Amino acid sequence: MSIASDLIRGHTDTIILARLINSDNYGYEINKSIQQRTNGKYELKEATLYTAFRRLEQSGCITSYWGDEQTGARRRYYSITDTGRDTYGTLITDWKAAKEMIDKLIETGEEDNGR
Amino acid sequence: MEDKIRRYIDDLFLETAPTKKAVELKEEMIQNLSDKYNDLTAEGKTPEAAYNITIAGIGDISALLAELEKDMTNKEPTIHEMEASRQKSALLTAIAVMMYILCALPIIIMSMAGFRYTSEIGVPILFLMIAGATGLLVYNSMIKNKYRSSSDTMVEDFREWQSDDKDRKALRKAISSALWSITVALYLIISFVTFAWYITWIIFIIAAAIESLINVFYTVKKGKR
Repeated sequence: MSIASDLIRGHTDTIILARLINSDNYGYEINKSIQQRTNGKYELKEATLYTAFRRLEQSGCITSYWGDEQTGARRRYYSITDTGRDTYGTLITDWKAAKEMIDKLIETGEEDNGR
Repeated sequence: MEDKIRRYIDDLFLETAPTKKAVELKEEMIQNLSDKYNDLTAEGKTPEAAYNITIAGIGDISALLAELEKDMTNKEPTIHEMEASRQKSALLTAIAVMMYILCALPIIIMSMAGFRYTSEIGVPILFLMIAGATGLLVYNSMIKNKYRSSSDTMVEDFREWQSDDKDRKALRKAISSALWSITVALYLIISFVTFAWYITWIIFIIAAAIESLINVFYTVKKGKR
């Protein structure tokens, strides 16, 4: 699991951007949906999450605003920008290319022979 | 238990200067962690277990806090900016003081020249100049505050204010009371000698101007330090 975490960590930005593509969202809800998608196997640390928000905001991929909840404390929502959508597209293309390459590189050929 | 989460986060941020960004991040974290905690207890976890899971999920935020600190030092005004703003502020104050001093001049000149509408024209000019000068001073202090609140933290401001102002205030009070006593004495002496009561009240305005000048002097001197 820890090795998988290391692999996933390199794609934190892509994962967060993907969660914002369809709608604005706030920190906990984003992390919760990540957790649900992996059946509870993966969850970002708060530290990783906020560091990524900060990085993405600085590079102009996302913007944030404080929501206007009527009850309880206010939440900080994040929203993807056009730059963010472009970045997301590039990251996905990069990942697909890398995945294909890695698949080929780690293949031994034995699986293909029906073993 | 939410208080306990808040206290835990407060401790994490203890060493971080309370800048806008830091405070916002703190509020955001507390809000999100409370949501998580509430979800966990709703799933049937005991408060203790939910709290522990929540806190364990935070991870190491020291790098993030260090970045926030770095932001703050980067945004601190450069020496040139500070010097420019100090000069601008000194200029504004000087103009304001000059207007205070000169505001009665039209009346004096007009009355000396025997102009008929001295009070109709002179008095409005006097008030306009006083209003303008006061406006300048207010504007000056407002832009100065804005400048400071973005660069300094409230805590540092407060400490500085506390230590600096004590002795300075005492000194200024002494100077001010001496000035006004002398002014009253001068007013009475000159008035009784010359019997020019209609004009000697100018002394009070001059005294106010002198006091403003003293204030400027101290402000500039403080800025230099």
